Amino acid sequence: MNLTAQFFKFDNLSIFVGIFIGIFFLLITIYSFGFMWQRKKLIYYYSYLILTFISSLGAVFSNNLILFMVFWGFLGFLLYLLIEFAQTENASYTAKKAFIIIGGTDALMLLGLALVWRLTGSLQMDEISISLNTKVAVLAYMCLAAGAFAKAGAMPFHTWVPDTAEDAPTPVTAFLPASLDKLLGIYFLARITLDMFKMNPAINTVLMIVGSVTIVAAVMMALIQHDLKRLLGYHAVSQVGYMVLGIGTGNPIGIAGGLFHMLNHAIYKSCLFLSGGAVEKEAGTTDLEKLGGFGKIMPITFITFLIASLSISGIPPFNGFASKWMIYQGIIKTADNGNNLWIIWLIAAMFGSALTLASFMKLIHAVFLGQPANEQPRSNEVLTKAESMINKRRETSPTMWIPQVFLAVLCIIFGVFAYRIPLKMFIFPSLVEKIEFFGIWNASLATILIIVGVVVGIIVYLLGTIRKTRETEAFIGGEILEKQSNMRVSGTEFYNTIKDITPLGTIYGLAERKVFDIYHLGSIITFGFNKVLRYIHNGVLPTYLAWCFLGMIILFYILLR
Amino acid sequence: MTATSNILPLFVGISLAGAFLTSIVGKKLKWLPDLMGSLTTLILLGLSLITVRIVATQGILVYSVGGWKLPIGIALVLDGLTVFMLVTVNLMAFFIAIYSINYMEKFTSKWKFYTLFLLMVAGMNGVVITGDMFNLFVFLEIASVASYALVAFGTERHELEAAFKYTVMSIVGSLFVLLGIVFLYSYTSTLNMADMANILAQKSASNITIMVSVLFIMGFGLKAALVPFHAWLPDAHPSAPAPISAMLSGVLIKSLGVYTLCRVFYNVIGINSSLSLILMVLGTLSMVIGVFLAIGQWDFKRLLAYHSISQIGYVILGIGLGTPLGMIGGLFHLFNHSVFKSLLFLNSGAVEYATGTRDLQKMGGLMTKMPITGTTSLVASMSIAGIPPFNGFWSKLIIIIACVQANRLGYAFWAVLASILTLASFMKVMKYAFFGKLREKWNKVEEVPVFMKLSMVILALICVVGGVLLIYNINEVFLKPASDVLLEGTKYADIVFKGIQ
Repeated sequence: MNLTAQFFKFDNLSIFVGIFIGIFFLLITIYSFGFMWQRKKLIYYYSYLILTFISSLGAVFSNNLILFMVFWGFLGFLLYLLIEFAQTENASYTAKKAFIIIGGTDALMLLGLALVWRLTGSLQMDEISISLNTKVAVLAYMCLAAGAFAKAGAMPFHTWVPDTAEDAPTPVTAFLPASLDKLLGIYFLARITLDMFKMNPAINTVLMIVGSVTIVAAVMMALIQHDLKRLLGYHAVSQVGYMVLGIGTGNPIGIAGGLFHMLNHAIYKSCLFLSGGAVEKEAGTTDLEKLGGFGKIMPITFITFLIASLSISGIPPFNGFASKWMIYQGIIKTADNGNNLWIIWLIAAMFGSALTLASFMKLIHAVFLGQPANEQPRSNEVLTKAESMINKRRETSPTMWIPQVFLAVLCIIFGVFAYRIPLKMFIFPSLVEKIEFFGIWNASLATILIIVGVVVGIIVYLLGTIRKTRETEAFIGGEILEKQSNMRVSGTEFYNTIKDITPLGTIYGLAERKVFDIYHLGSIITFGFNKVLRYIHNGVLPTYLAWCFLGMIILFYILLR
Repeated sequence: MTATSNILPLFVGISLAGAFLTSIVGKKLKWLPDLMGSLTTLILLGLSLITVRIVATQGILVYSVGGWKLPIGIALVLDGLTVFMLVTVNLMAFFIAIYSINYMEKFTSKWKFYTLFLLMVAGMNGVVITGDMFNLFVFLEIASVASYALVAFGTERHELEAAFKYTVMSIVGSLFVLLGIVFLYSYTSTLNMADMANILAQKSASNITIMVSVLFIMGFGLKAALVPFHAWLPDAHPSAPAPISAMLSGVLIKSLGVYTLCRVFYNVIGINSSLSLILMVLGTLSMVIGVFLAIGQWDFKRLLAYHSISQIGYVILGIGLGTPLGMIGGLFHLFNHSVFKSLLFLNSGAVEYATGTRDLQKMGGLMTKMPITGTTSLVASMSIAGIPPFNGFWSKLIIIIACVQANRLGYAFWAVLASILTLASFMKVMKYAFFGKLREKWNKVEEVPVFMKLSMVILALICVVGGVLLIYNINEVFLKPASDVLLEGTKYADIVFKGIQ
């Protein structure tokens, strides 16, 4: 009993995260039965999944920092093995990159752990309480937060997430970067921010800067992507910004919003990835150029994807709106401290939300609406062939769509009954302080109003008063579309024009050259040093002997001085 | 001197006997060298495990060679640190000997290999067990000379070149060690380490001790491949046959370099703050420069060799801290590094055995064809990179905590940085050698023979469960006695003299 208390701790926050880890593990396992079948060595795949599940639970329930680090570090290793499972050249590059970033920040966390031990003499998470008034304390916080950021995928440690999303097997992406790593990363960030360290306004501001930059920069990158999974990957980064922003506000409503958003994000993002994976399984590709028209073929997947898209874009009454709304309130509340920067955070958050919607419009058009890429109306023979191709495609197997539907339903329930179910059951008990809403939002009432509105609209439509329509050119927001012979709009060209705006164009150019990728920068610096050192290691024996004597002379000088 | 202390000369005697027997009859009987190599090292391993128990129950053991009264005769001393090193050396020697059974098939005259191998083992055992300064030098030379020949064993052009460089630089180091011993002898009129420590403690500090310290740092530091005395290592270690590379990186640089540095500075001359600082700075330099050099290499074994420099840096940093935690961390890392670095060299040997290349750019996807080699080297890579729960994680964790505890934040930072870069460079190894797409020319590659697999698998298991050495009961009999010896400092002399009566 005593030993358990020393190493493990079950409080409301960890139990709530633990429950959802379990739910995601079950869903992904069910989904994998459909997605991964016919692949080789599945026994390894499933054992890695189970190990991931166990280590995640271990990390969440650990009370001892070293024990926590063991589980946490092992998770990085498991992620590496799981990405490697795709067995392509790109995947092995991505796995390497992801693990270097995650493992590297884990090493920083070790430093943070050592510093915490020096400051408090304890490694029990519930005994530690450090005020951030010394440089060492700030350094310790930063080191630990870096680990949390890398795991969750916040800037500047985010670059592994889009790569992983693109290259890893889809259930893996849905399991780790999209849901579990977010839960764990934000859980740990909340743990250190709320329990282990006493925050001060400066650190809160740093968190909010990280959050805002992450939201805007990642969503801008998402806008111009051409690959379904990579685009979703950038959104997985962008949404982390909201959680960090929420926790960074430092007031109960903001923190609750951040945690709630963590939960919601895990739900809708894994739903998106799973639905995307279903499309990938049918189409054999995730290139937006080659997709299109899947709404008719896979109605269930389309609907789940649509619901999840609306959630992530923060459309009421879905769950994404509920948590974003709480985060906005938290941001506005920071104005109470006489901090005038709140308006910037608020604009960043709302702007990010709008751009998210925009990029999902592109995605839904390109994948589910639009024309199928195979349709070539010029030749009858080809047409029939293409049609038979399309006819062959059908909805995915139940093991795949059941998890999707389950998650989509959760999106709706957590949105409509936001206060009654998730907040009351999971989020509020996790936090010590009492939470007061000051914005008025009654989700159930709003839902009823929305439904009433839709019904009225249908009635009006059926009454026939607006049947007299006129035909006109499609409004495409001022975009100029290239004329294609088959008049197909694949959707990949959407928003390409933003690259023409002067400062943005340059930034996109730099981003494409990976200037903002911490991994890329690190490798340039490392190989620079390597070049210099290799140059002086020229293999000439007298040089090497000269170093020895030089070393001795320096030692003599130091000791005899 | 008790009856059990008769076990001490066996460590040198058995390995020397094995070497001579192999050289005499090994040429005729083709099966004998393999048997002798494995059997001798197995006996030595068994003996060294027995000594763990002996030291735990009876304390320090002293044996005077030929019955000569100490301090005139040569003393063999068995204390916690010696036991720790004996176990490390003989454990590795045994698994490497098993591995060699299959690996050395492609070389001619196996008996020469085993003779030299056992001579080297004899030298290393002798270095760690002796209590006599000049005797230490003799054993040091036995091990070194055997290793020169072993580096050149392939007798190709680059191997001979590497062996030549290694020989020249190593002999320079040995000469400075000898010079240091000469100074000490003329200053104290004794060669027994315990006696020497007593006399040095009575005399006040003088420039002679400083002079000797510098000579020893240079000489032993060269054997341990500390920057800036490291330049021989990246040539010598990759050129040797894989089992010998494993031996050199795994235990030779530690018993000839790190152990001697510890013994001489902590127990004989006596450590002070400036010496400790020098050790820490040299350790940190090695750690960082080694890893920066390693990350750009494309030769599998050369990359590993540079990592040896880097990892020895960790060991020296931990030991140089001088705090109990630092000592434990340093020694534990020494043991762990022996295991995973030997394993990595054996893996590189297995890859070379199967594909005939050491160039990482030419490999790729070997995991599918060589699952055991791939998995064991994944385990070893994770260990060296410090990923939990493998053994390297625990020792690095202790070293980093010890640095922070001693208020050396800068050193802790460098240790973390080196750890990140180590991870990065082993990710590179894994990506280019084992993961990714299998190249067509490796379609017919097969997994290596059984003894090679056996030895790699067992070493990988030690990597996985290595963390248990920190469990209180095991720590009490293995790591802690070793670090206690260092912490006792020059009181070592009194304890040795007590052991004689």
